[in-house]
Amino acid sequence: MEQRWTRREWLATLVKTLATLLAIVYSIPTLVMLVVPAFRRQKNPWIKVGKADEFPVGEPKAVTLSYQRRDGWVIRTVRSTVYVVAKPDGSLKVLSNICTHASCAVRWERSRSAFFCPCHAGYFDAEGKVVQGPAPRALPEYPHKVEGGLLYVRLENV
Amino acid sequence: MRKLLDWFERETGLISAWGRFWTQPLPPGVGWGHIFGALTLLVLVVLFLTGGALMFYYSPTPDQAYASVQYIEHYLPAGRFIRALHYWAARLIVPLIIIHILRVFFWGAYKRPRQMIWVTGVLLLLSVIGYGLTGYALPWDQKAYWGTVVRLKIAEGVPLVGEAVATFLRGGDTVGAVTLMRFFVLHVFVLSVLVFLLVAWHVLQVRRMGVTPPGVRVNEEASVEKTQRLYPEHTARIAVGAVILSVLLISLSLVFPAPLEPRANPMDTAYKPHPDFYVLWMHELVNFFPPNLEFLGSFVLPTLLVVLLLIVPFIERSPERQPRKRLLALSTGTLTLLIIVGLNVKGMEALPEPERLSPLEKRGQQVFVELKCYSCHGINGGGGPVGPDLGLGGKRDPEVVRNLLRNPSAHNPHSIMPAYHLSPDKEAALVAYIVNIGPNSKMPPIPPTEPEKPASHFEDNWFVNHKFEVRKDPGNCSDCHKSFFCQACHQNRRPSSHDAQWLKFHFGNAAERPEMCAACHSPDYCESCHKVMRHDTQWIQQHGSRLAQFGDKLQWAGQTMHQMCYQCHTPQSCQGCHSGALPASHKVANFLRDPQVGHGKLALKQGATSCNSCHQPQFCQSCHGLPMPHPEGWDSNHPQVGHKNPALCQRCHSFQEETCQTCHQAPPSSHTEDFRKEHPRRITDSGASCQVCHGRNACLNCHKTPMPHPKNWGETHGKLGQQRGWKGYDAVKKLQKAQCATCHDIKYCNQCHQP
Repeated sequence: MEQRWTRREWLATLVKTLATLLAIVYSIPTLVMLVVPAFRRQKNPWIKVGKADEFPVGEPKAVTLSYQRRDGWVIRTVRSTVYVVAKPDGSLKVLSNICTHASCAVRWERSRSAFFCPCHAGYFDAEGKVVQGPAPRALPEYPHKVEGGLLYVRLENV
Repeated sequence: MRKLLDWFERETGLISAWGRFWTQPLPPGVGWGHIFGALTLLVLVVLFLTGGALMFYYSPTPDQAYASVQYIEHYLPAGRFIRALHYWAARLIVPLIIIHILRVFFWGAYKRPRQMIWVTGVLLLLSVIGYGLTGYALPWDQKAYWGTVVRLKIAEGVPLVGEAVATFLRGGDTVGAVTLMRFFVLHVFVLSVLVFLLVAWHVLQVRRMGVTPPGVRVNEEASVEKTQRLYPEHTARIAVGAVILSVLLISLSLVFPAPLEPRANPMDTAYKPHPDFYVLWMHELVNFFPPNLEFLGSFVLPTLLVVLLLIVPFIERSPERQPRKRLLALSTGTLTLLIIVGLNVKGMEALPEPERLSPLEKRGQQVFVELKCYSCHGINGGGGPVGPDLGLGGKRDPEVVRNLLRNPSAHNPHSIMPAYHLSPDKEAALVAYIVNIGPNSKMPPIPPTEPEKPASHFEDNWFVNHKFEVRKDPGNCSDCHKSFFCQACHQNRRPSSHDAQWLKFHFGNAAERPEMCAACHSPDYCESCHKVMRHDTQWIQQHGSRLAQFGDKLQWAGQTMHQMCYQCHTPQSCQGCHSGALPASHKVANFLRDPQVGHGKLALKQGATSCNSCHQPQFCQSCHGLPMPHPEGWDSNHPQVGHKNPALCQRCHSFQEETCQTCHQAPPSSHTEDFRKEHPRRITDSGASCQVCHGRNACLNCHKTPMPHPKNWGETHGKLGQQRGWKGYDAVKKLQKAQCATCHDIKYCNQCHQP
């Protein structure tokens, strides 16, 4: 059945439509600006470690990395240390130097051929596996790649 | 849901109040002219919305404010649009309010009982201007900083309170962190609360008293029949106006992003802040007064205007609303408006011509940004503090500019500007642009650098002080800069550590803090020198051959390798070893004398070049007294030398040598038969020539006494006997007989010694 709109009804619909339209037009970009960046993940960059063939086989080498990290509009220079383990077969492994037990920094002890954590006397072998002490897991390994003879590492929260 | 709403209505009454508000009846004359109040409110809502969103990301500290605005502009989705929206809404709200005020003024709508609505309206206008003044400072770019500095300076000119107000706003003596925070809080909190209260009061009063019916006398309002309602009739007009306004606002925001100048630089003396066009009338006003009365124009007249505006409803109290019957009021208002507009137009003429660029110059501007010229040069402010500001210094000659680009140090030997060898079209464009830069030019928009410069780079005197920062931690610089970044300047001006003594000390520095070197030099820089010159354990053995091979061939910084040795070593340092620690060949016994293995043989065998690797050619002569080995034609020349200094020959040769005997078998012509007897008279050279053949002891062999007799022989000859161990009278006799008598008669003694 055909319904005839009165002038009032027509205007009311117009007002409601336009008001909704304006609300959408103004609020959507605002919400986008507020919401979207919060869910954007910062991709960890590949950080140059050094020449891949210069790491001594059998002895993990500590490398201090310095890289830029964006924290909103502040850009910070962050330093962190990783151990590069060169295996006899030529492959490399990049280990975190943070003990999995209480997040102390481990160091390579040449005399015992093991990573030593000074906080609770934990030991890890050259592969990062727990040998002794309270550490629940092996030392985390970071993904790495070799490009043009250079070793790059991506420091992910592992 | 329904129940919940009912409950809410029961408890608060807000829902019915909301309904009553929108359905309020309006008099018949309310039409399109009445939408501007609502539009102003809409724009205010947009400002609150976008401003609130911006607040999520803005950081009101001098070192982060600009970075956070850049973050909003370049990294946030829709951030640029939201900021532009805020900017353009702020620009539009002032004319909207003015239109609204004019409408109210011409309609006489401020008359009894609505005087206070007018007053709050004027206060709202002032608050919005306050918003503009405080919001201006927040991006902390050049315009924000210098604009704020200038405004606070103007505020200081106000008599009595001016200085106190300016100092309060500044929060101290200088515009800085405290100022920025104050402006921020005023902008987002103080003014917002004020405006919220004023708007609520303003709107609710209008709701309570109703919209003024146009053209109706003050006392006759009650008789006007209200024929329409706010919703939907008038809201439809408002909605249409709002859509048109929004289209304008959004397209302005999309096409013209909010400007952002280079980061505020308090040290920048070249920046010229220009007043915005809507305050030009005030500048013109100021110009009417002599300098000592300037505050009349900058403060008294505007204040009077504001006060006048505030009390308009209390001055014009006639009940008439018909414009025809209020000619005096309307003409006064119109005149004031025309004066302000006229002054503004006049002020705009005085504004500098905006920079106009030809396509070529436009291209040059791109090249300027591409090459990052702005990191050293400003254009009327902005830009780095290193090179001269290009906005200064008058008209430039294209040829000079071109030469300067190609070789800056030809113009000024101390210039640290790197040379640019560009393709011809790029160079032509850049030169055209630089020539065109004048006092009205502006720095082109600079894309944000990734990562943004750290705050330290904006410190006072950063350029002068950067060397200290480098010394603290050179690794900090190399996080962002490659080594050639330093070299661009430091090729022509070496760091102060690299003084004349530098070579001597560089190793210690390099060994202790290699990262200091790495800050400027690439890792292979050391090798370029040290591959042939390294003071390691093998160096002692190698240095001779290396020096012989490269000593005068290789050069670093204009010095040969040999000269570089003398930076640390003196020529005597070689002697320290080479007088004692001799080459193996020099160690054989009797090296100096032995004719078989001695130095002469060696020199003859290997040639003097071998000697010359250590010894100068004059070295032989210092002993031999003549060039060695004997020069050409020696056979015929040597008698002259031999006659002059026979001892010279005897150092090496004895007459019995075969070489001599081959020629000199026969005695010389002087040795006649009576020579033995005659020779004392013939010898004129104290026996030197005798020694050539007879050896050094030629005289002594026969005479047993030094011949010829030394000086003072008369006194000393007596001791001769004692020396030989003879004593007494017999001894004298014996001496006479054995020695003296060979030449002298006994009577000869008696001349002195009486028997």
